[in-house]
Amino acid sequence: MYQSIAWYATLFFVFLIALAFSFVYGESRKLREYGPIQEKGYKIRKFYFLGLVAIMGFASAISLSKLPYHNQHALAKEDGKIVDVTGMQFSWQLSDENFVAGEPIKFRVTSKDVTHGFGLYDTHMQLIAQTQAMPDYTNMVTITFDKPGTYKILCLEYCSTGHHLMIKDIVVKPKGGK
Amino acid sequence: MDSKARNSIKKGVALSLVVTSVVLVLMMIFGVIMLLSQGNVVKISSQLFYKVMTIHGTGMIGIAALGGSAIMWYYLSKYIHLNPKVFFTNLILTLIGVLMILTAIFGFNFSDGWTFLYPLPSFSAKMYGTTGALLFLFGLLLLGVGYLIMYFYLAARLIKEYGGLGKSLGWDYIFRGKKGYGPPPAVVATTMVIIANSTGILSGATALVESIINIINPNFSFDPMVAKHLTYAFGHIFANCTIYMAVIAVYEVLSGYTGRPWKSNKAFLIPWNFSTLFTLMIYTHHLLMDFAVPRWMLIVGQIFSYANGLPVMVVTAYGALMIVFRSAVKWDFASSMMFLAMFGWVAGAVPAIIDATIVVNHVMHNTKWVPGHFHTYMGMGVVAMIFGFMYYFNKTEGTQKQSGLDNVAIFTYFVFFAGLTGSFLYAGKISTPRRWAEHLPEWTGSDQVGALCGIFIIVAALIFTTRFIIGLRNVGKKPTSEELKSVS
Ligand code: HEM
Ligand SMILES: [Cu+2]
Ligand SMILES: [Cu+2]
Repeated sequence: MYQSIAWYATLFFVFLIALAFSFVYGESRKLREYGPIQEKGYKIRKFYFLGLVAIMGFASAISLSKLPYHNQHALAKEDGKIVDVTGMQFSWQLSDENFVAGEPIKFRVTSKDVTHGFGLYDTHMQLIAQTQAMPDYTNMVTITFDKPGTYKILCLEYCSTGHHLMIKDIVVKPKGGK
Repeated sequence: MDSKARNSIKKGVALSLVVTSVVLVLMMIFGVIMLLSQGNVVKISSQLFYKVMTIHGTGMIGIAALGGSAIMWYYLSKYIHLNPKVFFTNLILTLIGVLMILTAIFGFNFSDGWTFLYPLPSFSAKMYGTTGALLFLFGLLLLGVGYLIMYFYLAARLIKEYGGLGKSLGWDYIFRGKKGYGPPPAVVATTMVIIANSTGILSGATALVESIINIINPNFSFDPMVAKHLTYAFGHIFANCTIYMAVIAVYEVLSGYTGRPWKSNKAFLIPWNFSTLFTLMIYTHHLLMDFAVPRWMLIVGQIFSYANGLPVMVVTAYGALMIVFRSAVKWDFASSMMFLAMFGWVAGAVPAIIDATIVVNHVMHNTKWVPGHFHTYMGMGVVAMIFGFMYYFNKTEGTQKQSGLDNVAIFTYFVFFAGLTGSFLYAGKISTPRRWAEHLPEWTGSDQVGALCGIFIIVAALIFTTRFIIGLRNVGKKPTSEELKSVS
């Protein structure tokens, strides 16, 4: 979902910027005195500035209330299933590979050698969550696999020439079934 | 001494621009090779891919910095006396550093990327031998030393001329109510870059030294999280400072062409001070997926990354629009490039800011979205400014005249660069990871589109470059009539 928001928001804002530049380009062959242009320009700029600040404030307020970091705290109370993940050149090791749809999982992610990136992809190869897999540190990421199917872990931090080989399947079984 | 020193600075600038433009074309070819391989059109081994990626990243950032420095020196030397020897020292150290880096990559299989996370080089040293890793690390260090020498020298010169870096950032006008205009934009921008980039380079150098020590004696190890902070403080600041150096050309060229002043009033100085501060503090947006970092630091990363967009969007880009608006500006190569480059910079800021949103970053960090945004502001921003300046330089100092071919090349460059960055951003939308030698079948479509765009970009860049070099023949021979302008 956030990918689409990012994509369309980018297209929209870049389009607006392109419009502004085209408009000014179109007017650039005319010649008027700079003083009045500046005066008017500064006035418009005030609204433009406030508008941008408002958009940014709004986006911050909404997005900061949904931080991925919050999930961990929520889950800590519920105690979901804990799975330890270790990245190494060039594979992933999981302490438990049995997953059932609908069950909240808490991944505790670390690395044995260099920094890797723990990227979780859903059954349509959309990235749904990630955190860094670092030596000496443990990062938690929580997720509930909604649907059964084959999910994947991909490495998302360059870790030398076998980086792209770090793919691991996670098979999520249907609830109650085999 | 003045005109002699300035002439030799001009020669240095010309030389740097030649190096910049030639290396740029080469690196673009490497870029297309990567895309052809990711898109399964022409395959190279994954080991070679990562080497090419390392040289492309290092080379591109390196030439953006070199081209930016050339612009900075050219204009700064209009206002204050500068010793050309310092410029050449930096140029020579850069070239030696680059030679070491090339040897490391192609002679000794180094392929850890232009930024890497400790302790990666130590592990690569075990796999591929210590020579390559050490050559690369020392090569980068040498580059850093060259820039530090240059910045410290410029800092000393500005302090001498203006009485302090606070003064050359216009604090007298901001805080003490001094009337009139502050130092020329070139001086303000240079001060900002001195402060930000010296900090960035010192952080980077510390991270490099940590890796070097760890390779030479593995008994000494360091905290990988601290190293990561240092690495990204460097990477973020250094890449961004290339723009803040190159943008000097936008101020100078557009105000010259429109005959309108673009001076440092308070509304100019305050945002530049904020830019300095924000550039130093927002590198934490590279650590948003490190949940071990204190949360407040990451939230600061998001909020100030947003805020960092404001000076550009509200002041610099808006100022460019205002100065051009109904100015009967003469559109030639230089003015068109500067105008379009401002567009490229702002357009690149949009996906950057969106990605600095933590919830978005959670599903887009280290996807192709990231190269998508920085190719926009580097390729259509910084590099466009450098190309525009190359033409301007040639026209002013040499004998180049505009031709119809140039217009076609400008058009081609921007249209296809938009296509290239669009293909990267789209790849990010469909979750294609960055820095992957092999792509899954569902990702290859955007790579092929990107490769095709890349080929057209190279054609345009080749036209710019050859025309520039041919036009250079008379530079430095033209007697300079201009005197050093007044200092404030
Ligand atoms: C014809 C133009 C260009 C093409 C085709 C191109 C292509 C590429 C490709 C395919 C990558 C690797 C993406 C990945 O991670 O999968 C890349 C990375 C990169 N490019 Fe470009 N690029 C071009 C121009 C530029 C320019 C003008 C700059 C900057 C001045 C630049 C700077 C970089 C940097 C810093 C990286 C990151 C390398 C890394 O991840 O280690 N590129 N480029
Ligand atoms: Cu990896
Ligand atoms: Cu950054």
